[in-house]
Amino acid sequence: MLITKYVTPELSRDLSCLKMADTGDVCLEEANVTGKDVNFTQKKIHVTERLQRRNDEREADIEKRKAMKEEKSAAHESTDFFIEKFARTKNELERKLEDETDTASASKADQLLYCDTISAEIQKLQKFLTDSTLFLPSFEVQKAQAVINKLQNDVQQKREQLVPRKKFAFKSKKKQTTDKPLPTKAEHKPDVSQPNETLRNIDFCECNFKDLTSQTLTKGPDDLNQKDVALSKLTDCTVKLYGTPGAIHISSLENCHVFTGPVSGSVFIEGCQNCVFVLPCQQLRVHSAYDSQFYLHVTSRAIIEDSSRVVFAPYNWSYEGLDEHYVVSGLDKSRNNWDDIDDFNWLATDVHSPNWSVLEEDKRVKCWEA
Amino acid sequence: MGLLTILKKMKEKEKEMRLLMLGLDNAGKTTILKKYNGEDIDTISPTLGFNIKTLEHKGYKLNIWDVGGQKSLRSYWRNYFESTDGLIWVVDCADRRRLADCKRELDSLLMEERLAGATLLVFANKQDLPGALPSHDIKEALELDNIKSHHWLIQGCSAVTGENLLQGVDWITNDIASRIFTMD
Repeated sequence: MLITKYVTPELSRDLSCLKMADTGDVCLEEANVTGKDVNFTQKKIHVTERLQRRNDEREADIEKRKAMKEEKSAAHESTDFFIEKFARTKNELERKLEDETDTASASKADQLLYCDTISAEIQKLQKFLTDSTLFLPSFEVQKAQAVINKLQNDVQQKREQLVPRKKFAFKSKKKQTTDKPLPTKAEHKPDVSQPNETLRNIDFCECNFKDLTSQTLTKGPDDLNQKDVALSKLTDCTVKLYGTPGAIHISSLENCHVFTGPVSGSVFIEGCQNCVFVLPCQQLRVHSAYDSQFYLHVTSRAIIEDSSRVVFAPYNWSYEGLDEHYVVSGLDKSRNNWDDIDDFNWLATDVHSPNWSVLEEDKRVKCWEA
Repeated sequence: MGLLTILKKMKEKEKEMRLLMLGLDNAGKTTILKKYNGEDIDTISPTLGFNIKTLEHKGYKLNIWDVGGQKSLRSYWRNYFESTDGLIWVVDCADRRRLADCKRELDSLLMEERLAGATLLVFANKQDLPGALPSHDIKEALELDNIKSHHWLIQGCSAVTGENLLQGVDWITNDIASRIFTMD
């Protein structure tokens, strides 16, 4: 019987049914058609039909799946397909690289951009190769990898022609920066020696006080409330800030007195000489300060770096509304670490840093407004 | 395939990422870290040394290293480069004067071979201050568009208010995850 050739678990139930029908068949011939037998025959026809139909469906399904698999594997998972597509992309990229050599008239930026697009395509090719390693023989993988490496080198060379990498040379002067001529693959433009346009522009705007000599500069609470203040390049000035700034940046001050209300955030000072600072803040950082005095209220910690001959005393400025301003700033008036300074150039804990000291009590200024 | 694959598989099991947070001093690195961890940010002192925090985020374990940014500490940054998956560069946007310094330090980090594979997230911090530069100005000042060697993103944020901190860490974890954990 043809059908038994295709026995599957799901069919076995129907098959047993069919066997029953067969025995029925025998009965049919012997007993010469009784009413019961007619019933039996119908049942038999019905079952056979059903089986036939199922078998057809199953066969069609197998065919379909086979076709699908063939299509898929043939299209994407054969070595031939890979080699063909890979070669096509490779040729295209090589042609593009040569094109670029001809377009010497285009601007440098354009050419660099062109390099970037080629790099991106090479990366795509690399991805394609990586994805295909599953079915490729390792010989083909290695061959393709070599091609990709060569392409990458070519692009790198092009890029270097456009923007030469910095040459290594010993400088007579020790540079402050840590950057060194690195032989890395990092594709970076070498630094242009002058700072770029944006940097120069923003350097000069929105500083509150800048480039002034021998002046008294004051600001009230409305100007200061939670704003950031910048003081820069002042000489022989007195600055009084009656309010609660959010942060203060100070740089290059000489012979100045700076008084402030409570600063909610940090105060950053760099490059000061012969100055007096009277300020409460959450955090204080002092860099390159010499011969300066700090009357300080600091709720977390103050640090000094590259500084020397700086002295500290507790904050003692007062003006009307200071207590209110303490509340506004959120500083804790009861916590003051003015005499606990971290010196980043002096890490020994058992010996006191020679760079800073506490100002002796009899040398402190008691009243500023006189 | 090779050793690299084995290492990647091991990492995949652990789902662990190492993030290195650097930037000039006073940028707000420690504040960002403490904010992530839900700690008090009022008592933060300038970092003398480093802080490490381990956070769970989206099923990943993030080891965040926050190294002090004082000039005298910057030469030690290199000790923390090894096996870093992501670099978080924090910028004080209100500190216009030192943006050139900031750019120089970042550029030298990006040349670093041991950070070559790391994803770069730039936090343009202190956006709560009215004098802070917006993130697109920082992007131009640092010339981020010229970076071809790293995946990068700039995110304006405020460590004090917590604004946009989560978006930043979401991006960097996704980017690292797509690089490391999904490769088979």
